[in-house]
Amino acid sequence: MSSMDNIEPPVIKKNIGTLHPINQTKDFLLELLSKIGFEEVHGPEIESEEYNFDMLNIKKSHPARQMHDTFYLENKRKVLRTHTSPVQIRSMLNSKPPFAFSSAGKVYRKDDDATHLPMFHQVEGIYVDKDVNFANLKDLINQILLNIFGENVETRFRPSYFPFTEPSAEVDILSEDGMWLEILGCGIVNPVVLENCNIDSSKYSGLALGLGIERIAMLKYGVNDIREFYKSNLDFLDQFK
Amino acid sequence: MKFIYQDLLNFLSEQPSRRSLSKKLFQLGHEHEIIGDIFDMEITPNRGDCLSLIGLSRDLNYFYNNQDICEIYDEDIEVLDLNFKNLSVESCPKISFLEIEIEEKITSYKPYLENYFSKLGNNKTNFFTDISNYISYERGQPTHCFDRESIKKDLILIDRVFQDSFKTLLGTEIKLEDKNCVFMSDNEIISLAGVMGGESTSCSAKTKKVLVECAYFNPEAIIGKTVKYNLNSEAAHKFERGVDIESQEKILRRFISVVKDHAPIKSLRMKTFTYKDFDEKYLPIETQRINKILGTRLSKEEYTNFLEKLGFEINDEVKVPSYRHDISSQNDLSEEIARIIGYNNIKSIPLKLNTISKSGHSKISEIKDFLIKNGFSEVINFPFTASEEKESILIDNPLDSNRKNLRTSLKDSLIENLLFNERRQKDSIKLFEISDVYLNEEDIHQEKRLAIIVSGRRGHNHEDFSKKLDDIYLNEILNLNHNTSIFNIEEVNREDLKTKKKEKIYYIEILVEDIPKALYLDKHSKKDLVNFIKYQKVSEFPVSARDFSFSIKNLQQYNIVISHIEKFHDKNLKDFFIFDFYLNEKLGEIKVGVRLIFQSPLKTLSDEEIQKSIDRILKPIINLDGVFIPGLEFK
Repeated sequence: MSSMDNIEPPVIKKNIGTLHPINQTKDFLLELLSKIGFEEVHGPEIESEEYNFDMLNIKKSHPARQMHDTFYLENKRKVLRTHTSPVQIRSMLNSKPPFAFSSAGKVYRKDDDATHLPMFHQVEGIYVDKDVNFANLKDLINQILLNIFGENVETRFRPSYFPFTEPSAEVDILSEDGMWLEILGCGIVNPVVLENCNIDSSKYSGLALGLGIERIAMLKYGVNDIREFYKSNLDFLDQFK
Repeated sequence: MKFIYQDLLNFLSEQPSRRSLSKKLFQLGHEHEIIGDIFDMEITPNRGDCLSLIGLSRDLNYFYNNQDICEIYDEDIEVLDLNFKNLSVESCPKISFLEIEIEEKITSYKPYLENYFSKLGNNKTNFFTDISNYISYERGQPTHCFDRESIKKDLILIDRVFQDSFKTLLGTEIKLEDKNCVFMSDNEIISLAGVMGGESTSCSAKTKKVLVECAYFNPEAIIGKTVKYNLNSEAAHKFERGVDIESQEKILRRFISVVKDHAPIKSLRMKTFTYKDFDEKYLPIETQRINKILGTRLSKEEYTNFLEKLGFEINDEVKVPSYRHDISSQNDLSEEIARIIGYNNIKSIPLKLNTISKSGHSKISEIKDFLIKNGFSEVINFPFTASEEKESILIDNPLDSNRKNLRTSLKDSLIENLLFNERRQKDSIKLFEISDVYLNEEDIHQEKRLAIIVSGRRGHNHEDFSKKLDDIYLNEILNLNHNTSIFNIEEVNREDLKTKKKEKIYYIEILVEDIPKALYLDKHSKKDLVNFIKYQKVSEFPVSARDFSFSIKNLQQYNIVISHIEKFHDKNLKDFFIFDFYLNEKLGEIKVGVRLIFQSPLKTLSDEEIQKSIDRILKPIINLDGVFIPGLEFK
């Protein structure tokens, strides 16, 4: 046996690719909601005004329905969904409480500057049952934020406005440099929305929450510029293996 | 909306510090930033009633007791004889007019009026318009001043389709489209109602007599006009959010007081036109319902006390104030109560969902896992494109003409991604996207598709370095286990791409539903938990590659060389890999080719800096007995 027989070629490390960091974050959040009891549901990105606005109590006069906020298609026959809430509407119409749905995906708003993109991603959750209240919502949100940001996260709930929830809240977390950062929107489902979905609002109540995935991904990964996610730069993507 | 801290304190009987005030404003849902004395507020669109000093002080009443110490003119006023016709009652159910004339020109403003301009950075226009703007800041109700001498005949408010040109008081000429609510006089449009007045009737520094209009405009009549005509209008912002339908006369009386504060008044006349009575809103007192919504245990006394402090009248029912257009249900009232308690002060109640969630890997995540394990990276692209196909869906209001259609294929996006990475000196590119495409065929619909693009070297290792990413490679990993070629592999024509590169590009696009399970079946493993790494900013500086071929004649040193290579480290070294391995049994020699890739996050590296890094990296290997890099000498 010659000394050559002992020579092994260099080990070949298999080069794996990358799941996009936005989808990694989306999967993480959906998994988290699934563990709590939410079932993932899906729906179209091209929506009718009825599902995207009317059913969600977003009235014709609401600024969101103006041409400068929403992409309208083919002479206003359809819209590009502005949130993932219509997915929940479609699911609620086919379900009887109790139920808990999560929906995630791309949403579109007519906005394009350094901090806003015309397409971004959301994860939303809705839970409808008897006697669901705002204090329960706070508990759920705290569970979620604890899982995302760890035990020491300090949160702040403050009133906000969404036509589909009442009361509505926005939740901030305290950053390491002492700044409050807006993380998610949530609230008690507006009874009008429940009634629109043929759910008796005198018997049932619901809670809903929505997070911007880019926002969570930016905070968790330390990405400062939202546009980095959509350059398809392998030097960027390879970091998230 | 911006306000001066001291101005708001004038409307509160208690005098909170900036910090305390800020805390309470946040508790009430009024986001803001503080710069010195100025609070820059972000009021939610449902709270038009808070777009003024009076409005904010009403909301803060529970904490600091609000007060209105401003003088309101309370003497009798002669009735104005005005030839006014309202042909737009739905858009404007109530409107008041004040005709006021002053004796002399104004030379200076009282401090409260002067501060509004100097501290908030607002531009002065003329005496009457300045008062109008100040009143809107103080009371939240916009008013508009016409130069009285410019309106000789009738005044009509009309809501219909116009195609006329209209010159605003700021001198901007706009072309009216569709339906608009306008004031007309002598057949001329003199004001875009609730948005902006016209140049022909605007006041000037010489104006001594004005007609002040103060109306309630329905939000629907105003909304969208500023964007449509590219106008910046504080009045429209307030009307869109709803003003107090009961306040018009009081506002005009306050207007008189402010004028009187600055100049002797020569004449005064006023008239109010009411076309529809305001429907007062009442809601039942349902303390238990509120507790059920919030998860609290409030008494009826606490409940009524909170609401009274917010301006609600409590008798047998809850009477909603005329300025609160956002209140129509018990859920709305519960939010009012919760704002006063403070959302943070409502204790959490543990929630366990009464549901069972179905979990499991979806087909899409299995396909992604398969591709990622084979070295493909996922990209996400925007769906907007300039390219128009027969089945393209047209966007009515695109961001620009380059994004006026929704893509019908993922191909152009992926080619663009590939070329972007080629320009960044990537020589092995494997990308995929799973996304919807949008089609206008028999109906408007979307399809979920997988697209794959490859070009360049198969990999950065000694086996794959000289092989190409081509149709053979794609067939091996995608089509090999199927009876037919499910994945149709297409070569992309380089000539159309304006690129000097010669590497062939291969592309696949397939409906996700057409991908057989055999591709990814039994290949999935338990999903890894997401590891939220801390991202390092991508360098935009050039990359430099250097290749070295080690000749190892002392075979005992081989494993030591490999071990050294695996530990290569330098601040300028971005990547490295072994691209060649050759065992020459005849000569008793091993050749190992290594590529070092340099890039700094801070600057373009000079040849000298790269050479210094190379010296640091390679010296430990060169010093080994029987290991050489032919042609390389170290200083």
